[in-house]
Amino acid sequence: MARSNEVNLNECKMVVPLNTWVLISNFKLAYNLLRRPDGTFNRHLAEFLDRKVPANANPVDGVFSFDVLIDRGTSLLSRIYRPATAEEPQLNVAGLEKPVTAEVVPVIIFFHGGSFAHSSANSAIYDTLCRRLVGLCKAVVVSVNYRRAPENRYPCAYDDGWTALKWVNSRPWLQSQKDSKVHIYLAGDSSGGNIVHHVALIAMESGIDVLGNILLNPMFGGQERTESEQRLDGKYFVTLRDRDWYWRAYLPEGEDRDHHACNPFGPNGRSLEGIKFPKSLVVVAGLDLIQDWQLAYVDGLKKAGQEVKLLYMEQATIGFYLLPNNNHFHTVMDEISKFVVSDC
Amino acid sequence: MKRDHQAISGAGGGGCGISSGSKGESSITNKGKLWEEDQDAGDMDELMAVLGYKVRSSDMADVAQKMEQLDMVMGTAQEDGISHLASDRVHYNPSDLSSWVQSMLTELNNPVLPNSDSNSSKTQQKQQIVSNNQSQVYNDDSEYDLRAIPGVFAYPQTKRIKTSTGTDSSSSPPTESSTRPVVLVDSQEAGVRLVHTLMACAEAVQQQNLKLADALVKHIGLLAASQAGAMRKVATYFAEALARRIYGVYPQDSLHPSYTDMLQMYFYETCPYLKFAHFTANQAILEAFATSNRVHVVDFGLNQGMQWPALMQELALRPGGPPVFRLTGIGPHQPDNTDALQQVGCKLAQLAETIGVRFEFRGLMVNSLADLEPKMLDIRPPEVETLAVNSVFELHRLLARPGGIEKVLSSIKTMKPKILTIVEEEANHNSPVFVDRFTEALHYYSSLFDSLEGSGVAPPPSQDLVMSELYLGRQICNVVACEGVERVERHETLAQWRFRMETSGFCPVHLGSNAYKQASMLLALFAGGDEYRVEENDGCLTLGWHTRPLIATSAWQLAAVV
Repeated sequence: MARSNEVNLNECKMVVPLNTWVLISNFKLAYNLLRRPDGTFNRHLAEFLDRKVPANANPVDGVFSFDVLIDRGTSLLSRIYRPATAEEPQLNVAGLEKPVTAEVVPVIIFFHGGSFAHSSANSAIYDTLCRRLVGLCKAVVVSVNYRRAPENRYPCAYDDGWTALKWVNSRPWLQSQKDSKVHIYLAGDSSGGNIVHHVALIAMESGIDVLGNILLNPMFGGQERTESEQRLDGKYFVTLRDRDWYWRAYLPEGEDRDHHACNPFGPNGRSLEGIKFPKSLVVVAGLDLIQDWQLAYVDGLKKAGQEVKLLYMEQATIGFYLLPNNNHFHTVMDEISKFVVSDC
Repeated sequence: MKRDHQAISGAGGGGCGISSGSKGESSITNKGKLWEEDQDAGDMDELMAVLGYKVRSSDMADVAQKMEQLDMVMGTAQEDGISHLASDRVHYNPSDLSSWVQSMLTELNNPVLPNSDSNSSKTQQKQQIVSNNQSQVYNDDSEYDLRAIPGVFAYPQTKRIKTSTGTDSSSSPPTESSTRPVVLVDSQEAGVRLVHTLMACAEAVQQQNLKLADALVKHIGLLAASQAGAMRKVATYFAEALARRIYGVYPQDSLHPSYTDMLQMYFYETCPYLKFAHFTANQAILEAFATSNRVHVVDFGLNQGMQWPALMQELALRPGGPPVFRLTGIGPHQPDNTDALQQVGCKLAQLAETIGVRFEFRGLMVNSLADLEPKMLDIRPPEVETLAVNSVFELHRLLARPGGIEKVLSSIKTMKPKILTIVEEEANHNSPVFVDRFTEALHYYSSLFDSLEGSGVAPPPSQDLVMSELYLGRQICNVVACEGVERVERHETLAQWRFRMETSGFCPVHLGSNAYKQASMLLALFAGGDEYRVEENDGCLTLGWHTRPLIATSAWQLAAVV
């Protein structure tokens, strides 16, 4: 791997605020420690280093949360975030699953990022993001703590996503008053974005309606080395080498990056033409080395006649949505709130 | 318990002995004040703080520069094939980014090869292979690692106000709001109704509406009968406690100590909480004892002495031989004048002999830890003997009498221990408001009972389970039915204990990634292991069930005198 030195590091520092640079560099450095060349992962150190927060049934800034064990067999937990109502500022445990009262309440099922290997639903960065989404979209957010690679490969993450979706869809207390149905959106960043696509597919094929997909810097790839991958390798926190590592960790052994999980519109993918598929909002960062794959994904949806909106944030790096200190952040949050509300 | 790791010790080993990176080399002057300034949340980058990282805005550029250096060094290291030196090292307190980065830089710039230490006569290469093999063979149990720490919402609590003399017996940190972590395991209709009724009953009791409370308590009995598993048991214990409170039939704590010891033994065997407590406390003690030839442990609650065989075995394995090990075990008076402490001491002495550790034991019977005077303990000067004071689930009892905890902490300071290890229940069961206390306890013991259920005491004896539940049931009864000096199960949270310790003249000794990892591996031995979670919280370790931390281990040393 080309040893990017001072020149590139300085470039990188110029496009993001300093604290964002420190935050993402911290992840980069920590993650370097965790990935072993033999494909194994230092899970203990990963969990030790990850900053986590508990659920909190006491409202903070108008949002409260609690964890639910959705599936005992796989220890599948999800964190539920709800807006606190003025009338009942503090619910006791019996009231946590009180029915939603509005005509239409979007329920956003969120899949955190981490390239399939890192982070959890209770990672501080994702707890913070989910809390924002509640206020932004006046939604209930369900953050799924899916099983991670390399201990759990494809299709575990998708299976867990599907289990969570079925659970959400069958909660009476999440049904909107208007039609006694649960209004489901899927959202996720990085690997979470990838999961959104695949879970949406399963859902639609099984007859459960998903109203919209939100993919933030979704993780896609392929065998080919694209122009953006070559141009941006190692320049903005991410290297091709680490991308390859994560795919090797997630995909079934022996499979390459043209596996449909990685490359849904590639040689082993399938066309979505004629299939009922949710409208999609896809956010691509202009300094993300895998953007060619993300743009190809958008193309794939368009060619299949699916509704998709692309938000291309030219000067954005990965992780720009983790801190509310840049314009890209605000633009994207705005778009998300319009995307989710426009349903009714 | 391998301790041949080189420590990354920017902030490791002492929260207030070494200053963090940007302040330059360790400045020994002005120490007490320095750590307090470090805690000043005013200068902290707020956005980073929300995400769990404590970095001062004024340090940001410096941290960035260090990261760049580290990036370059790590890249070089990778090419030289020693890239995983850093990952084999011990990490401390990841929230303190500056120190964390600095320690790795220091380590990588001056790599100390692993075979220069303790038990490894292996070559570096073999060490690499060994650790790689371990990583391949080790079937990772931690896929579903949802571990919670009082992170974000504890940060407001770090605005510590220095009390003038530390005599304020109120233990509350100046919090904005407390955190209520809830994990719903049973969202079936009946379970919810049961909880609802329990809460209503507690409300009625608080409002002295005893007639209503009485009716509700009976209703709970009916509802509970139709439940299964943990929920039924928890509800039953809480209902009984409520009934005692309603009828004024308070339990006497007149059980023979050997009976309570026995209950604790069952609890010890059935689930990992006590083992975790002992293990993590021992880690800290071992590190504190590393360079001493004479060591002394004062154990505030000897019970059956279950913590000490493992420590002694580790001491025995030390290169260069074990230190002389003195143990002072403290326990309550026995009603029938038997000397239970001596019996335990004898057993430990026998073990010591078989493993070649020179051992001395002394038992001290007191009614309360507040009755202890340092001179009873025969403390020797620090140059001669290193002292560790150990308290597992004992300190909270002192909160039942005014002045108790202050007296004990003061005594500890007089003893000048190198380390003080504290394990406590991670919950606030000491609110003066009955309903609050009741609610907290209900959540807490629900998680605890659920974990007992889940850790499937594989093929019976279910007697173990019943005894463990009895052990916990007595705690529930005390929290709910008792008041005043009788109410001794006055659990408080890690945040509350931190505040108390830091305003009483102690500063943290951080537990690191090695302790974390080994504690996690310990859990794998229990059925249901992947549902237990170890978490790192500002240098302390907690053990919880799913996302709910249930016990917390912290370690302390005396804050340096200015």
